[in-house]
Amino acid sequence: MWAKILTGALFLLMIGCAIYIDPVRDRSLLGVRDPERARLRLMTWNIGYASLESDSRAHTEDLKAVAETILKNAPDAVALQELTGQEQLDVLIGHLQQRYRGAVSGFGGQDRIEAVLVRQREARFEEIPSGDRYALGGVFRFQKEGPEVVLVSAHADAFNAARRRSFTGDVVDWARARPSDQVVFIAGDFNFELRARSQSNIYTDNIKHDSEAYSYILKYFRDLGRDAGSTAINDRRIDYIFGLPEVTLLQRAEVLKGTAVGRMDHLPLLVEVQL
Amino acid sequence: MLTQLRIEFIKLIRSKSFYLSFMALVGFIVLMLWGFYSYSQRKAGGGGQAAAQFKYTYESKSYFNGLTFALYSVVFSFNLLIPIFVAMTAGSQIAGEARAGTLRMICIRPVSRVSILLSKFLIVALHTYLLMAFFIGLNLLVGYYFGWDNLELFPGPLNLVEEPGKIAWDEALWRFFYAGFSGTWALLVVAALAILFSIVMENASMAVVTTLAVYIMLYIIGRIEFFEDLRPYFFTTDMDFWRDVFKPIIPWRSFLHYGSICGAYIFGLLLAALVVFDRKDITT
Repeated sequence: MWAKILTGALFLLMIGCAIYIDPVRDRSLLGVRDPERARLRLMTWNIGYASLESDSRAHTEDLKAVAETILKNAPDAVALQELTGQEQLDVLIGHLQQRYRGAVSGFGGQDRIEAVLVRQREARFEEIPSGDRYALGGVFRFQKEGPEVVLVSAHADAFNAARRRSFTGDVVDWARARPSDQVVFIAGDFNFELRARSQSNIYTDNIKHDSEAYSYILKYFRDLGRDAGSTAINDRRIDYIFGLPEVTLLQRAEVLKGTAVGRMDHLPLLVEVQL
Repeated sequence: MLTQLRIEFIKLIRSKSFYLSFMALVGFIVLMLWGFYSYSQRKAGGGGQAAAQFKYTYESKSYFNGLTFALYSVVFSFNLLIPIFVAMTAGSQIAGEARAGTLRMICIRPVSRVSILLSKFLIVALHTYLLMAFFIGLNLLVGYYFGWDNLELFPGPLNLVEEPGKIAWDEALWRFFYAGFSGTWALLVVAALAILFSIVMENASMAVVTTLAVYIMLYIIGRIEFFEDLRPYFFTTDMDFWRDVFKPIIPWRSFLHYGSICGAYIFGLLLAALVVFDRKDITT
């Protein structure tokens, strides 16, 4: 009888421990607030549609809603992906009441392009070539006395992990080659399949490629949206904003829920940092 | 109880399946070695495909050092190989005796049924630990041949970390030592389930197959992304806590939480087994 009682007691003890010990690990990337320093707001958004749609690029009729989200959150710069061309960017800037300047990347071998919008009028833009695709960098001055800020808008291949790895390497190498007085942020849809929290996959070559690419970025940059949650359909976190850890003090990282319109499969990621 | 344990231990070391389990693990390590060798020749390291294709790479020779090899080997085998042997040993404990016609004789001795069952469970626990310790030890020994270096961890493969991390080689050896115990604790859930089926079914094969069917079914469903909402209800999800010891900073709260859930499964199933076995009408 004593053995049954002991086993029952151990059973109840284990249940008690499981209830009492909360597994949630409260580890935040947020830095200490400094009310004196101005905050830089950056946004990235793949405004294209899910790949099941006949045309998975951005749709012009959605741009009014996109503009409303941008105006409501007032980011200093926005990285956009999957536009069909310069015309869509012009329409978007029109909806934004000309408050932003912007540029698009070249098409390369793709049917869609990336764009960067900047609130500051003197911004300039540079293309970043990688194989048959381009990323785009927007260079602007956030504060008169402050350093120049570079926001890169990138979109890595959705279907090939090896290509994503090569592309990521090129973008990071371009960012690292910038003058030391520029503060670089890399934003965009990298399509990395990394689900460390909830999965236990058997090893695959694709996962290893994504791991290598993500690790390579984290060698120099910090994943600012890491705790913000999923950014795409099926609870995937594939849209990122990476910032330099030594100069970036993260204040806020948020995925703007409920902002997707039409058949968009991504949500915008907004980060707020102090430099 | 001690005499009972001694008897059960003698039975264990005299059974062929005991040695078969260790031989299978050796075979697995041989296959792992072959796989890693072909991978390094084809893709990684100096002059490999990856080195030619990508400007940067972690696929240097030090990526797959002895400790990395041991970690991958242990993690890969834990979910699908070692549970088979645990289920085999545990599932045949009572049902095997019933099948051989010795259960009735054991139960008419002046030893309580509870003692019989608990001693059998403790021997299964010992076998499970020996399997884990042997497998980890052998992997480390094989890894030593390649050279131990720091244990480099990257997001994605194995899904252990969210950002690149590193464990110094001497600390990593301790982590392997801890894994022997955490892995055993997780596997005891399978053992307790198999013991319960072994009592209920009176047929060792049925008990083992049913245990494995339940385990593999939950494991597969839990790995399908569509069904991720079901994961928290599966013991296979909780069993994954054992790998937390390989994280650069062990998340103790999470480790203890999921370890306690596994404990609840172990003692809950064991209690059910004790109650059923104590009241069982043994007719064989």
